[in-house]
Amino acid sequence: MRSEARIDPKLVEEILKFTRNVVDAPKLVAAPDEINLEVTPHEIAQVIDKTRLLHYKPLTDKQHKTPLLISYALINRYHILDIHPEKSWVRNLLEQGFDVYMLDWGSPTSMDKYLDFDDYVNGYLDSCVEFIKDETSTEKISLQGYCTGATIATAYTALHPENVKNFIATAPVIDGWRDTTVISNLAKHIDVEKMVNTIGNMPPEFMYYCFSVLKPFEQGIEKYVNFFKNIDNKKFVDNFLRVEKWLGDTPPIPGELFKQWIKDIYQDNLLIQNKMFVGGSHIDLKKIDMPLFTQVAVGDHLVSPECSMPLHYAVGSQDKTLRIYPTGHVGMIASSLSQKKVLPELGQWLSERS
Amino acid sequence: MASKPQALTSTGPMRAFATSSKKIATELIEINEKLMEFNKFYTEYYKQLSDTWSVAQKKVNQKVPDVPHDVEQFEAFKRIWIDIFDNDFTELFDSEKFGENYGKLVSKELELTKHWTNISNVILQSANLPSKEEIDEVYKELHALKKRVTKLEIELKRKKEDKR
Repeated sequence: MRSEARIDPKLVEEILKFTRNVVDAPKLVAAPDEINLEVTPHEIAQVIDKTRLLHYKPLTDKQHKTPLLISYALINRYHILDIHPEKSWVRNLLEQGFDVYMLDWGSPTSMDKYLDFDDYVNGYLDSCVEFIKDETSTEKISLQGYCTGATIATAYTALHPENVKNFIATAPVIDGWRDTTVISNLAKHIDVEKMVNTIGNMPPEFMYYCFSVLKPFEQGIEKYVNFFKNIDNKKFVDNFLRVEKWLGDTPPIPGELFKQWIKDIYQDNLLIQNKMFVGGSHIDLKKIDMPLFTQVAVGDHLVSPECSMPLHYAVGSQDKTLRIYPTGHVGMIASSLSQKKVLPELGQWLSERS
Repeated sequence: MASKPQALTSTGPMRAFATSSKKIATELIEINEKLMEFNKFYTEYYKQLSDTWSVAQKKVNQKVPDVPHDVEQFEAFKRIWIDIFDNDFTELFDSEKFGENYGKLVSKELELTKHWTNISNVILQSANLPSKEEIDEVYKELHALKKRVTKLEIELKRKKEDKR
């Protein structure tokens, strides 16, 4: 009883306020389907199967000559690169005068289970590059890949260096054995052959499980406590809901692609050893000889810097830059740090070569 | 239940029904065996979680022996609790023993799914519907055809450009 009497009334007040916020939340926040994640105006330049090539409308009178194609990751959707006008990766590049295209991989269904690395690299990505070259009358484009999209872009650049003028690898998954994340531990122990043969595509639920074991208490408790504490802060709530909606939208990954992905990158680590084949063609990282800009984040708990950085040392490029930022996997592309530091540095590097 | 019309005239619909029932019964027996193995890894999975929880909680108790009484103390307690729990659980998820058990757990779950698919296939075939394998063959064929068409389109485009 004495212990209870010593409790600060402010603490009780805080707890009561928090409880009220939880109760009032449904009245104060928008439903996920009321949030539109497509922020910056764009048109659909090309559709092949379920993939779409988005072309963003320019925001400057004058543009750099070389167009930029962004190859987004296979996990979640491309919206994180344009999640909010103030934190939009795409908008920032448009404001710096770049002509930006984005490859949306779409949501594969059961009938897409046989799509493999070859389809993604030499099919979808190549057709987008060819389309942009035709559309803009250029011989080469700048290519940026993010996360797993950077691995696909790496394979593409090694196979088709004649099409890529500048290559930007943002948190690329390259050296699976050096990856120190929880994801790589799970990936190394999964019988991926059995998984794909039994259920076809990699189900989103498997990805949600992987997310749930990454900093489970920070992400599973603290994040939501902060949300309810800030329920009156419209800006905070808007940002939070946008990212939550994005997090909850993970499409399946085609079975064959997922199988090769896990085996070649995480289990056998073939890419960095120059032993990987895509569609029968050998991937030799030394063939990447154009200017390379690699971006990694020290706090990345999805793709550790040790997994990304080997690309910088493995390529044949003479003109190469490695930047390490004090942030995380998403913080590098959708935060105030990305707007103030990551994007200006990338823009300057790219404009000098575009 | 006969899937083949000729079975009706020769031995009657009961023959196909009996074959299907036998197949389903066999699958159910195997499911039971697999469930035992699955439960072994499932129990180990939760044991690892609960052991890690106990150790982490002990660490928190040692670091913060007193109940927090004001807002600042409560915030500090929460921070310590989250940091210790995140560290200990990340260590677990990163460990070989967790990865190995998790891999086996998923593997057994997939084997159970496979048996369920087999049962579904028996039922589908008894209703004259294509099985999962047959549908997969169609998907595979479609995929190969699409690849061939794309290849031909590229060749055609190249030839047109050469003519120009």
